[in-house]
Amino acid sequence: MGLVVGSNPMSMDAVAALLAERFAGELTDVRVQEPDTIVARVAPQKLAVLAARLKADADAGYETLNWIAGVDRRTSFEVVYHVYSWKTNTYIELHVDLPRARPEVDTVTGVWPAADWHEREAWDMVGIVFTGHPDLRRILLKDDFVGHPLRKDYVDLAENHPHA
Amino acid sequence: MSDRIKTARYPKLEHFAEPNVITTTADFIFSWARSHSVFPFTYGLACCAIEMLTSGFARYDIARYGMEVFRPTPRQCDLMIVAGTVNEKMAPVLKRLYDQMSEPKWVISMGACATSGGPFYDGYNVVNGVDKVVPVDVYIPGCPPRPEALFQGLLELQGKIQQYKFVPGKPAAPEAAELVAPAAATEEV
Repeated sequence: MGLVVGSNPMSMDAVAALLAERFAGELTDVRVQEPDTIVARVAPQKLAVLAARLKADADAGYETLNWIAGVDRRTSFEVVYHVYSWKTNTYIELHVDLPRARPEVDTVTGVWPAADWHEREAWDMVGIVFTGHPDLRRILLKDDFVGHPLRKDYVDLAENHPHA
Repeated sequence: MSDRIKTARYPKLEHFAEPNVITTTADFIFSWARSHSVFPFTYGLACCAIEMLTSGFARYDIARYGMEVFRPTPRQCDLMIVAGTVNEKMAPVLKRLYDQMSEPKWVISMGACATSGGPFYDGYNVVNGVDKVVPVDVYIPGCPPRPEALFQGLLELQGKIQQYKFVPGKPAAPEAAELVAPAAATEEV
């Protein structure tokens, strides 16, 4: 079947079933959430391997990383990867739960180079540590900023306001 | 339009002694030239920059005031139009660029963010007004201000420039003292 950009040759349920079956070891809780988005959970230690396989998949290759978000769930942290497949014209949202005391996950910059700045932003704002990242430093805030402001328990500090 | 602007823009041209000869003061001729050849420094930081750029295009045409030569380098500018939110990471850069501008120089704080932080007041990375960093001559309210508001700010600035005294020994006009930037802002420079 030839590729038609903007069309989905498979139904969403078929894509979800294909993913749930092919990545049964890594993806859990696979479901169709939006007309074009499949949501699934991934264990943090399996993420890097899954990302490479997901990108290389012949039928539903998720080649394009749209964004990475860090989320503060109060009792834990979550990292959300939003990836697009040109083959099926669908998105997949990978949700990774991280313990609050140690929010660390492997980098996916080796799979999707676009992850570089997104992971830096998640580190900057929420304080997620991406192990193996080539250059994990702040991207939006100044280098000597103290804390991670999008955490729910962030308290505004006087030293972050030298021009107050 | 305030009386101050009117009197500043249309000062005394004493009399015509002969055709094409005008008698006036040195103060007037210098300040007239200076206030009508202001080179603004492009300092767009947020959506106010869109209004500032719109001011430059044909519909509003900032060139009517002799200010159309926006320059992207501080070394060729004498007016910094701070158009947008100044954050803590930008503040040292802004101060440095201001310092690189040659005297005499002026600053316009365009919009709520540059004036006070605006809707982002007290944010984790927001400077609550650019006057914490550099002295401001004219504040323009609005979110964002329309080009007409920017023009009124520019006219206020022209009125201020025209009250500068170039000939030493003359006492400053009473209006000039009231127009000086607030003391608190000046001290931090």
